[in-house]
Amino acid sequence: MSIASLLFVFFQGLALLALAPLVTGMIRRVKALLQNRRGAPVCQPYWTFATLMRKEMTIPEHSSWVYRFVPFAVLGTTLALALVTPSIGFGAWGPSISNIFLFVAIAALGSVFLVFGGMDTGSTFGNMGSNREMTLAALAEPAFFLVLATLAFFAGSASLDGILAFFARTPWHAGTLVVAPTLLALLLVTLAENARYPVDNPATHLELTMVHEAMILEYSGPYLAMLEYASALRLALFGALFMNLLLPFGLATPAAGALALLVGLVLLAVKLALFALLVGLIESLVVKMRFYRMQEYFTLTFFIAFAGAVIVLAHIL
Amino acid sequence: MLTGLVIVSFALPLAGALSSFVSASSDESIRITYGAYALGGLSALAAAIGSFVGPFAGALAPIQAFFFGIIGIGTFLASLYAIAYIPLYRESYASAWHASAFALFLIGMEAVVLSPSVLAFLIAWELMSISGYFLVISERTPDAFRAGVEYLVMTQLGFAAIASGMLLLAGGAPFATWQEVAASAAQLSGVARGVAFVLLLAGFGSKAGLVPLHQWLPKAHSQAPSHASALLSGVMLKVALFGFILSVSLFPGIPLALSALVIALGLLSAFFGALHAAVEDDLKRLLAWSSIENLGLIFSGVGAVVMLGALPQSPLVSAMAAGMVTFVILHTLNHALMKLSLFLSAGTIVAKTHTRDLDALGGLAAAWPVFSGVVLALSLAAAALPPFGTFFGEWAYLQALVLGLSAPLPASIAAALVLGIIGLVGGLAAFAFVKLFSTVFLGRARSEHAAHAVAGERPSLLLVVPPALGALALLGTGLFVLPLLSAQAPLSAHALFASTVLASGAAMNAWLVLVLLGGALLLAFLAARAFASERGARVTGTWDCGTPLTPRMEQTATGFAAPVRFFFRAIVLAEKEVTAEPVVATNPWIAKRRILWSVDSFWERYAYRPIAALVLRTARAMRRMQNGVVQAYLLFMFIALIIVLVIAAV
Repeated sequence: MSIASLLFVFFQGLALLALAPLVTGMIRRVKALLQNRRGAPVCQPYWTFATLMRKEMTIPEHSSWVYRFVPFAVLGTTLALALVTPSIGFGAWGPSISNIFLFVAIAALGSVFLVFGGMDTGSTFGNMGSNREMTLAALAEPAFFLVLATLAFFAGSASLDGILAFFARTPWHAGTLVVAPTLLALLLVTLAENARYPVDNPATHLELTMVHEAMILEYSGPYLAMLEYASALRLALFGALFMNLLLPFGLATPAAGALALLVGLVLLAVKLALFALLVGLIESLVVKMRFYRMQEYFTLTFFIAFAGAVIVLAHIL
Repeated sequence: MLTGLVIVSFALPLAGALSSFVSASSDESIRITYGAYALGGLSALAAAIGSFVGPFAGALAPIQAFFFGIIGIGTFLASLYAIAYIPLYRESYASAWHASAFALFLIGMEAVVLSPSVLAFLIAWELMSISGYFLVISERTPDAFRAGVEYLVMTQLGFAAIASGMLLLAGGAPFATWQEVAASAAQLSGVARGVAFVLLLAGFGSKAGLVPLHQWLPKAHSQAPSHASALLSGVMLKVALFGFILSVSLFPGIPLALSALVIALGLLSAFFGALHAAVEDDLKRLLAWSSIENLGLIFSGVGAVVMLGALPQSPLVSAMAAGMVTFVILHTLNHALMKLSLFLSAGTIVAKTHTRDLDALGGLAAAWPVFSGVVLALSLAAAALPPFGTFFGEWAYLQALVLGLSAPLPASIAAALVLGIIGLVGGLAAFAFVKLFSTVFLGRARSEHAAHAVAGERPSLLLVVPPALGALALLGTGLFVLPLLSAQAPLSAHALFASTVLASGAAMNAWLVLVLLGGALLLAFLAARAFASERGARVTGTWDCGTPLTPRMEQTATGFAAPVRFFFRAIVLAEKEVTAEPVVATNPWIAKRRILWSVDSFWERYAYRPIAALVLRTARAMRRMQNGVVQAYLLFMFIALIIVLVIAAV
């Protein structure tokens, strides 16, 4: 890995790290405005994290070393994903690290540790969030695999970098329209993987919704900040991936100069703002589904992904 | 030299078994007997490695050496564990008979892999199967005997299928060597070859737990003592896989329909295994179901290799076949390591808590940090997550399927569907192992037994070391075995760190993945160090909404699996019934509630029981002929004679 690639990767990772809380803040703001509320400033998540980091922590009495390890594992896997995701541009990583199935697996690793965190509290809240999260993760897997495999086939490369390179070469080429169902399935998977509507309600931890927020209910102070930050980062990086596939404009490469990098950064911010708008709109228009109807959501997602695969494979469009 | 090692690997178990007849129950003699077995395992492993590299390379065929090595690893880990484990159950396991059955089982498996001819294979297979029966019934409880009978019936039916399939191929010559069998198979008609293939698939498939011949497996593997279950699940299933691969290699060519059958049965087994593992609440049965899942995946890979071999060769076909071969080799090794280690860990858990019921466990991580770390690593490996070798095996499978997307039309859509199935199977397997780890180790102890174990002493070192070695080896399969599989002939140190590159341009390097994950974890630690407050942590009560929390409020494994049971209720045949008996006539809310729930085997309900009922009905109908009148019997014999004569005349 050359020095330029290394710098590029760190710049890209830092950009996502810096923008992640903003995405969460913007989604909340969009939802508030659509509900005729003023809402908190978009920068509020930054202050929340800063406050949490300064607080003392409480640890539930019946937990073990796993409970204390979970925030590091969850944040660590999300950081790994943030370094791997092509957000400002592509081309820094070799095909191994940028492999599509490695991306899915690292995301799954993060989910698994989050589930352990919820199970190690000895409280029903965490337990209930945990088994639901694990169920959702299992049901989302088939569609996620299929979406990425379809994109890989379409782009002729099994790495995220390669896929984006293909899309950037031919942005809005008429041929790329055939992946529209696949991208729709990717959006549905993104909502599920990030505990958003209609799968989970990110704003509450009531029994009725209880997935992500229930798992982290016992966490406080810096640990809570790490978990919340990991979840904001995860949303931002899934959003960056989705938006870069949808609008593959202005993507930089490690060989490009500082100007291209800057353009990429600005465009990333714009794309993430659009993503926040999209998610905010979806969350205002769609109601949360009952958990015990989730198989309908995932069956639908899988069939959209499968239809997308068939369209691409059979050259229907 | 190599022959010497092989002889030692047979002789040491025999010597160990004989020594156990002198005095079986003292710690000293257990150490000598099982120590001898472990050394025998090591020498088998050394022989296997020696026939890959070094001056004696090629002494064994690569496939024989590979499976011989797996038997060696299994023997070593399970016997090492048994040294500390058997003294915990001195009354039931510390007998010369148990030690002999164990030794004969090991020898049988080794002999199956090395057997040069049909008859040798069949005798070795029976030795393995019958001594396996005595391992299953070691506990001598009614449950163990029931599981043992089921095992014995299935294994004998399977043996009959294997024997007839092999003899059919060999043209009835029991002493035929494999070359002679292959030559004779080439002379057979297509129909006869097809029948032989189905017989062999049924025979080896029933041993490997392929659906629908899998019912005996979760019962038998969970009843055997844990050091034996580890070998039954981790190694004997691989011997069945070896038998299947060996017999496939005897056929001159296999029609696509038959290889498609293998793929379909493999995927079906993977799905049923993963689903039942996800809803199972018995620790060892969960592991056994997961074995069905993994063997199903491996069989589907073998079926794919066979199918691709029969297709007209092209760069795409050979690249897919290469990916599938990588998967089969890596996953066979990974599954052996992971199932051995997990069953050995299960043995420790059961020995300390006296229960296999996941609903009654919990809270062990706080008491046993090292052991829980080992099982955590094994659970992640079983869920096929990086940085463990299992992930890299499944990665090869998935990449081969992605390649399959560029095949001509119906095949490409089939590949897309299989991708979806593998995704679901992987998700359910992860669910099962997350459930296993969390309900055994996390939260609070859910029963007196578990609480007692938490308060008691930690498992001794010798109980923890074998599974820990397995967990380390699972890291190693990704780091070392994956690059070696694609390395070119003169090995260099550089080849060990090289990426595995497939024809499609996709690549994987376990070292880079390890560095990425490790580096990111380090970053997270450093960031927390730099930014978190100095005020530290305070241990407080868990948030309880004002009602004191008890362990009974925690979710059990049954509760954890409730969503999966609900979503797949038509397949796991889940039923739930809540009955409420009012205590106070005027108030319906004050009631005694009782919940009854069950899951049932799809195959038992729709295949096994109807067949059993049919057999019983037929038998009852036939009984009318058994009227005790001698004249009637003479009449039957006369009629039978006439029928035989008519058939002979035609």
